[in-house]
Formats: sequence, structure tokens, C-alpha cells
Amino acid sequence: MNPQHRIPIRVANKRAYVWDVDDLDKIRSEHRICGLLVGTLPHLSQQNVFLGLPAQLSPEEATLLVEKEYAVFVDDTNAYPEPSLGQFQQWCAEQQRYIKHQQEILKSESTKPSDVAQLAVSEAAVRKRKERELKRQQKALELRGIQEDGGGVDVESFQLASTPSVEVEHSIRPTTPSTSEPSHYNISIAASSSVLSWYDPDSCTFPTIEAAQAADIWDFPSNIKDRARYGVFKDLWEQGYFLGGGIRFGGDYLVYPGDPLRYHSHFCATVIESPTYAIHPMEIVAHGRLGTATKKTHLLCGWDDEQKTVSYLSIEWAGFG
Amino acid sequence: MDDNLEKPTAELKAEAGDDLAEEDQSSGDEDQGLDWTKLMPKAARPVIPKRGDKEYEPSKKGGSGLQQHILQRSRNAMFEALRADRTISNKSLSYGTWHPSIARVSVTVARGTVMGTIGHSVPRETVMPNGNLKTQKRLELLPEEAIYLIERGSLLCWKESEMEYLNECIFESVSGSPMTVQQAYTEMIGKEDLTMDRYQVYAYLKRLGYAVTRTKPPSIFYPTAAPYPLSSTASFSPLSIVGRISALFSSWISKISFLFLRNTFNWWRPLQFSNWFKKDKNYAFIFRSLRFIPSGNKVPIYIPPETKLPLSPYEPFFNLYKPPTPFRKSAPPPPDYQMVVVNARTTPMPSLRELTAIYDNAPELLPPQRRVRNPPQAQGVSYKKSATNPNPNALPDTQSQKPDQSTASPSQSSEKSSIISGLASWFHRKPAPPPAKPQRKPNPFAVLRQGKKTAIIATVDAGTINIFRFAQGAFEVDPWF
Repeated sequence: MNPQHRIPIRVANKRAYVWDVDDLDKIRSEHRICGLLVGTLPHLSQQNVFLGLPAQLSPEEATLLVEKEYAVFVDDTNAYPEPSLGQFQQWCAEQQRYIKHQQEILKSESTKPSDVAQLAVSEAAVRKRKERELKRQQKALELRGIQEDGGGVDVESFQLASTPSVEVEHSIRPTTPSTSEPSHYNISIAASSSVLSWYDPDSCTFPTIEAAQAADIWDFPSNIKDRARYGVFKDLWEQGYFLGGGIRFGGDYLVYPGDPLRYHSHFCATVIESPTYAIHPMEIVAHGRLGTATKKTHLLCGWDDEQKTVSYLSIEWAGFG
Repeated sequence: MDDNLEKPTAELKAEAGDDLAEEDQSSGDEDQGLDWTKLMPKAARPVIPKRGDKEYEPSKKGGSGLQQHILQRSRNAMFEALRADRTISNKSLSYGTWHPSIARVSVTVARGTVMGTIGHSVPRETVMPNGNLKTQKRLELLPEEAIYLIERGSLLCWKESEMEYLNECIFESVSGSPMTVQQAYTEMIGKEDLTMDRYQVYAYLKRLGYAVTRTKPPSIFYPTAAPYPLSSTASFSPLSIVGRISALFSSWISKISFLFLRNTFNWWRPLQFSNWFKKDKNYAFIFRSLRFIPSGNKVPIYIPPETKLPLSPYEPFFNLYKPPTPFRKSAPPPPDYQMVVVNARTTPMPSLRELTAIYDNAPELLPPQRRVRNPPQAQGVSYKKSATNPNPNALPDTQSQKPDQSTASPSQSSEKSSIISGLASWFHRKPAPPPAKPQRKPNPFAVLRQGKKTAIIATVDAGTINIFRFAQGAFEVDPWF
């Protein structure tokens, strides 16, 4: 794929971020990479369940996307030249337009609800309410008339006496909807820098891991541990799995059969750095126990750094019990 | 919190209103794991839905039509929520300027309750309009504070610039080029000891409502938290009144059981002390005297003299104040907690030395409170209590509800007087007034589990935060004696 059309992964402090929702959609639906939302969601800023942009990619995810030529690294620290006066004026004008647009919406919205509000206290409504009231009174009167056998109660005078109470009820009701003030408007703070006209990622884009490592903006994978983690990650991803971080479940990765939004993970994977690594029975018991408790199968993934292959071993309780 | 911050804008409403598909989505009420479909910005004030069940796996070839449809709906809902504009009313927006050279944001316009626990004031030399230099106090933000405010849409931050940008539009102050959230992340993280891991923990705690400050002041103007009050030595000293009373009380209990078992000799407590209030005549003293190998946390750990201590990653970085704690940002009180932030991938478990260093600066924890309001939880304790109490009239549930009163409750006064007289005769006819309401010892296992001191560690692995704590258990002192 042409480097220009690849997804930009913004790199700062050797961490990889995705800042555009469309890019996030693309890597999730097309490339089975989820990342992790780490930002505060605007308007829901006092909770930790749903988080917002940016999505932080784990080193394995970012490296995989770049190696498979789906994405490029952008050194975000050097992508912000000072805006020229013209660019700044243009930005100001955009903000101004945005506010004007808002005020128009506000105006059109404030007229609409006022119609509804007026309807509630309009002549027709008042008349209908009065009729209803009258009917109730007449019914009561009839009842009383039956009891008193037409004891000289004037229907007309009763009705007159009762009308002021309806009037009072009417006047208590708030009649005027609050008018929108033109000095009220919202200011929008952009999340992604791609809306800025002076943002310039092209001069600091790196299409390969090696180039990014040479420029010292990226350092994964740097040692045997990283290589083993990445090797296992890539191998599982190539088999069609979604992968997530497994630290909460005592492993390196969680392995999902489909998008983690909808499906539970089947495996909790632990990366083992060498095929000759000795595993103690205690660890097997611990992993088996943990897997059972979390309804997952524990997966031991042995990485062979010479052959560049992964061998898998799954642990489950045997159930002789 | 600020109402204005939580309100969706007119723009959002307009966008959500004309989407017909959302009608179906909001009416669907099947449970899903982290269901973003319930987070559509349609309602005026969105509610956070509860987590639900996910499916086991997609059927063959990437899922059935229905599965794909539900997945797509979930994804769309998520991305729609992520696309929401970060907007704020102009009346509640704060303004600030990012100065990369000093790694601070100076606040020019401060608004909103969020600002109550964020920022500190620093005297800085500023150029007055007439060209003179004048030292003025101004509100400054650390990088993490600035990013958090920008991210939640409370602060519009300008980047300090040589160029003179004119304020041509609606903003109350313009002092450089406007910054996006992305730019704030890129440029502010990495400054003033702030790492992404630390920022994530900071934002996590702030979203929960804590007031968070730095443990180590980054500059001399940064307000330092008040030190912990020196822990009274009373709880350690064997001569303390509390200790004596509790020792007396526990013996008293055993004496009661002797009375009722008609047992005059206890194999477990063969010594009998006649002089109750003399300090050096009790079991604790004798056991302590027998202990000739120094033990316990007061004994400093051995460090070979020539070892070079590497810089420890286990140093408290944040001070935490619970929301109800009265907090003044110019003079913060002693923190409720201190927190260490480490990278889960690169930092090994703390060494004993590192943990001891944290404990040395930590306050001593109060003994855990008895759970009085939770009768089912305190059942085991109250059961024991009523076993030693030979009152047949006492109802079991009143016992468990008021475990503190069980020994001195007025309903048992008649029983009590007989016990007291019996005891008095047993005490060599000395009038020994038992304490009216003796302080009950906390459950020793709860004390051990809580520990004397604590170290709270937050580990971050590529964005996932886990917080756990170490506790310094004290096996050699209370509550065993």
C-alpha cells in the first residue's frame, strides 16, 4: 500500500496513539486491532467505565500494523510548526463560523419549543380544560340533584363561581419559555490535530520499524523478551484472533475469537521466551486454577527465537474428581 | 460537577435527532458487555449502562448475519460516542498558556469547581505594559493537571509563541497558537517527570473524584503536604493505659470462664498476678522479656555497607485526598493515601528495602474498625462473645447488633453484679472496679491483614491500570498479647 494512504499512528514518548475515529474504525474492523481507549470522554468526564480518545496501541499492536504496511509512524513531537498569521486568522474565522452556526441552531430550536409551550396554554387547550371541569361539576351536580331532588341549585351560578379557580391555575403556569441569549455559545476543543491547517505530519513520517528505530522514536522490540512477545502476538493475530492485554487475568494476552466488544476470550496466553525454558508444576497448577476461575483455558506459548516459530500448550483441569 | 460540562450541545442534539436507526438501538435492552449502544448522545443526560453478557464465539465465517449486525451496531455506537465534540459553554471555559521552557501552564482565566483542587500559585516576573518587570503571583498547572483539564474540555490552552496573534474573535484571551488534546498529550507528557503511565493513573483518580497532588514538590513554590502527625507511642508501649485495660479485660474474661467452669487453674495461664496495676506484672511483659532475638519492623533491615543503592522506581509519586477530605490547595493536609506508579512490563517486584523505604515515610494505620452495622459480617465474633457470656436471656440478634455493649449492657446488670462480686472475692478481696465500658480489642486477624503500614502501587501495562497494596504486618506486637 502506498505510504500516503496508510493509517497514521502518532508516536510520542515511544508510545503509539490513534487520534482519529475513522482510523480506529479501520484498524478494528479491517485489521482486528483494538487498542485501548485511555482518554476522558467529553461530557462523561467523571467515570472510568467508558473512556474516549486517544486509543493507545500496545507496542505489539503498533509494530504489527506498521510491519504489515497498514500504518505508518508519525513522530508527533515534530509535527507542530508555528502557525502563520494567515493560518491563525483562518482558524479564528472557522471558530467564528462554528459559533454562528450554533446560534442559528439555537434560534431555530428556541422557536420550535416555544410553539409547543404555547400550545399547552393556548385558547383551545384552556377551553378544553374548562369543558372537562364543567362536565365533572355537572356530574357532581346531577348526583347531588338526585340526592336533593332538584333542591333549587342554579347550574349557571355554580359554573360562574368555579371559573376563577381555573383562571388562577392558568396564571401560575410558566408561560414564557426561556429566551436564548446570543452571548451564550459553546467553544469546541478539538481532540485530533489533523483539523489544524498547520499540522504537518508528512515531514516526520516513518513507514518502517527500522526507520522509526533509527530516528529514535520507537524501540520495540528491543530484546529477546520483546521479540518473544511480538512473535506470539503476531502468530495468534495471523490465525484470526483478536488480542487484548492479559494483565488483569495473570497472563500476557487475552485471546478472543471475535471482536472483544461482543465475545468473551477463550484463552489467557502466557509468553515463554525459549523452548527450553523449564516450567515448574506449581506454575501449571497456578495457571490451571486461574484459567478455571476465569472460565478460560490457559495457553502457554513457547517462542523459538532461532526458528521464529511458536508452539502452544493449553492447560485445563483434568476433572478426575 | 460542572453542569455545563456534562450537557451535550445543541449540535449534538441536532445530529442525534435525525438518525432513525438510533430509535431501535435505544429500545433494545439485551445485555451486552460494555454496551456502547446505550451511550448514544441522544438522551439529554446519558446514563452509564451496566455491563452485561457477551456471546461465546462467532459462528463460522466471521459470525452469522445477526451477530455481525449486533457487532456493527455496537461498534457504531462506540465510534459515535467517540466522535462527540468536546464542547463547553464560553461562560465556564478557563484559559491558559503552555510554557514548554518551564513545563507549566499559566492560567489566565480560571473558572469552575474543578479548579478548586488543581494548580498552585507561583510568583513570576512579568513584563508590565510600561516595560517594567514586576513580580506577580499567578496560577500555574503541572503538565498532568493541564492535560486533564484540556481533555475534559474545561481549559483552552494556547502554546506560548514569539508571534503576536491578535484576538480577532470570541475568545477572552489569546496568548499563542491553539492546542488540541493530541498536541497536549504529545508535548506535555515527558515533561517534569510525567510519564504516560503516571498521567493515566492521575486521570483515573481524578475521574473518580480524588484530589491528587505530587508527593515530591517539583519546585519550591509547589505546596508541600502537611506531614503526618507523629504517631503516639501509646499503641506500642506495653505501659499504655489502653494496653493495660485490654490486658486486664482479657484476663477478666478468662476469669469469668474459670468461675463458671469451676476451674481454679488454667494450664495456659499458670501464673497469677495479684498486683493488677503494676506495670511489669503481666504475661505480655514476661513474653517480651523472653524474646532475646530482636524482631519486628522497628529493627532496621541490614544493608551491607558497600552496596550502592540504585534509584528506586518505588517512590510515592501522587498524594491522594478523598473527596470529603477538606482540601486547600495552598496548604494541603496530610494525604489520605500515597501512591507509587510503575510500569508493569519493566519494573520487577519491589525489594524489601524499597518497601521498607515506603513504610518508613508512611503513617501508622489505625486499627481496623469493628463492623458494627453489619451484623451478618460480625456474626462469628458475636457468637464467641455470647458463648463467654452466660446470660440466657440475651437475645442472639441484639447481641450481634450491638457487640460493643454486650459486656456492659444494662439488661445484664443483675447478672453482672453477681459476676463482679464473685470477681471481687477472687481478687483477694480487693475492690477491683471493672471498667464500665471496656474497649474491645479488634479482631487480631483483621489487624494483621490490614498491617501497621501500607504501600499502594499502581502498575500500568500499555494502558491497563492495576492498583494493589502491600501491608507491613506486625506479628510481634498487638493484638496477640
